[in-house]
Amino acid sequence: MTHRPAFVPWFVLPSVLTALGLMVAMLTVLQYSIRAHIPGSLDVGGYTLSNFQDLYKSIYINAFVNTAWLSIKTAFFGLLLSYPLAYALVRTRSGWMKSTILIIAITPLFLGEVVRTYSWIIVLGNSGFINSALLAIGLIDKPLQLMFTQTGVVLALVHVTMPIMVLMLATGLSHIDPAYRRAATSLGAGPVRAFLTITLPLSLPGIVASLTTAFAWTFSAFATPQLIGGGKVSTVATLVYQLGFSSLNFPFAAALSIVGLILTVLLLATFKWMTHSLQRVGAH
Amino acid sequence: MLRKTIALSLLSASLIATNANAADKLIVSTWGGSFKELIDKAIGQEFTKQTGVEVEYVTGGTIDRLNKAKLAGTAESDVTFTTSHVGWLYTNDGLFEELDMSKIPNASHLVDQAKLSPSHIGAWGYVYTIGYRPEMIPEGITFDSWNDLWSPELEGMIAFPDWDPSHIIAVSAKLSGTDAEHWEQGQDKLKALVPNIKAFYTNDANSQQLIATGETSVQLLLSMNAYHMMDEGVDIELAMPKEGGVLGVDAMGINKGTEHADLAYQFMNIALSPEVQANIAKINRGSPVVDNAEVDPEIAKLPGMLTTPAQWGATLDTDAKLRAEKTAEWRKWFSENIMAH
Repeated sequence: MTHRPAFVPWFVLPSVLTALGLMVAMLTVLQYSIRAHIPGSLDVGGYTLSNFQDLYKSIYINAFVNTAWLSIKTAFFGLLLSYPLAYALVRTRSGWMKSTILIIAITPLFLGEVVRTYSWIIVLGNSGFINSALLAIGLIDKPLQLMFTQTGVVLALVHVTMPIMVLMLATGLSHIDPAYRRAATSLGAGPVRAFLTITLPLSLPGIVASLTTAFAWTFSAFATPQLIGGGKVSTVATLVYQLGFSSLNFPFAAALSIVGLILTVLLLATFKWMTHSLQRVGAH
Repeated sequence: MLRKTIALSLLSASLIATNANAADKLIVSTWGGSFKELIDKAIGQEFTKQTGVEVEYVTGGTIDRLNKAKLAGTAESDVTFTTSHVGWLYTNDGLFEELDMSKIPNASHLVDQAKLSPSHIGAWGYVYTIGYRPEMIPEGITFDSWNDLWSPELEGMIAFPDWDPSHIIAVSAKLSGTDAEHWEQGQDKLKALVPNIKAFYTNDANSQQLIATGETSVQLLLSMNAYHMMDEGVDIELAMPKEGGVLGVDAMGINKGTEHADLAYQFMNIALSPEVQANIAKINRGSPVVDNAEVDPEIAKLPGMLTTPAQWGATLDTDAKLRAEKTAEWRKWFSENIMAH
């Protein structure tokens, strides 16, 4: 029989305190969502459900749909770009190559979302890198409108989420026993078949985890849609900012946040349910 | 015994020194960037020169600082700079002291538009007007009137601030024959502007980047920011429509519960001295809010500078209290009807 040291439960304390703090914050937001807004004051009035009534307007429904769609596209394109990078990171035997890929993959994490987003404004602008390059090689005769569009926002968000996706996918891939692939190739499978029948299915838990993280992260993203979208790409987070922090209508912003949170949980639960069988394939 | 006495004396002396330091520091809440620099250069340094008291700045966005003041409960700063209508929110929520004007003798020269509430007064004025990149707009376009913003030739070219639609709402109301109080009459006019709107900028840095890169060649701009950008080499011109620029007044108030009220009053009095006010005009093209400041004539003639009662009177001036009360309603309508398209 082993004795657990007496101090171990104390290790849980920070997590419990953090959870309590988050819970109190969420309850405060919930409480605000059912209070009346008083024009010209930061104080809130009596209890009401009227804040939720306006959420049926098309602008708010569009913001929810936009946010979900942006999150899906970001997660999908992020996966397409991150998977090869993670695969190369895990498979390469060259230490130099491994370090290079790792640095390329995680350096953006050190810049912060706002700095990265401002950089993207320069890249995506009419006279930015992309348009200048396309104009120079004659592929276009006038600049493409990338700023203030969903395409621009997705591009920047993919860059924001890629580092974390690469790390999660690499972790998943590194747990796959190379013996499985060797067995497949020894039985005559080519590299593509071995990848499609062994590596890809076994990496599904990592794929699902990274997609889920990218989706949830994008759903709550603020700086990138706000700055690249320039008010033309509405998301739940940008509307919460516009209505809460700009107009001081905290009750309405809180109602929007609560509905956004519920929607995120529902979408993630649906995604989890849809990928449940896929994850079992990958359990090894 | 002697050693104990010396140790106690040293301890007492250090405690007294610490208290003296704490008392001899005025904490000023302000925006960051060029506005903090302006306050420090024009007012803070003069205050320190006259009183020997250092000024410490806490910076942040207008609403962030308001929220922090509300949540903190106690005064974390002694003097707060904010915009005139947000000053009303501080006042309404009891976050500002009621001002004893006898302690601010220089305030006797305040222009009417800077006498905001019993708890906050103007520090400098400016206008929101049309700023543009002359080489990037269609040939023949001028901005003699706000109506020119509605020109079909400006389709997809204009940017507005995303945090406060009150300026363009006041303009639309004016062009529809009314004022901001009856803003509903200008709604259709404002909706007609939608095709010309390219984007909404989030903050001054974002505005500067969008106009400097030419992404949005026409903007509704705060005149002081426009001059700051010009000083940094951005090729912008500032127009002054015949209907007048939209008046803005940045204000100051004393935080409720401050332990340095006397110093705060001294600070505000220095801020309103004619010399400091003239310096504000010189440094950042902020218009003096007192009628006895002598502004360099070369600066006074710049578009957006307000140095005479006639110039102040020719602006589109929306009552700050009305703005404070209408902000949420205007912002929501603007999000739903203008930004959503």
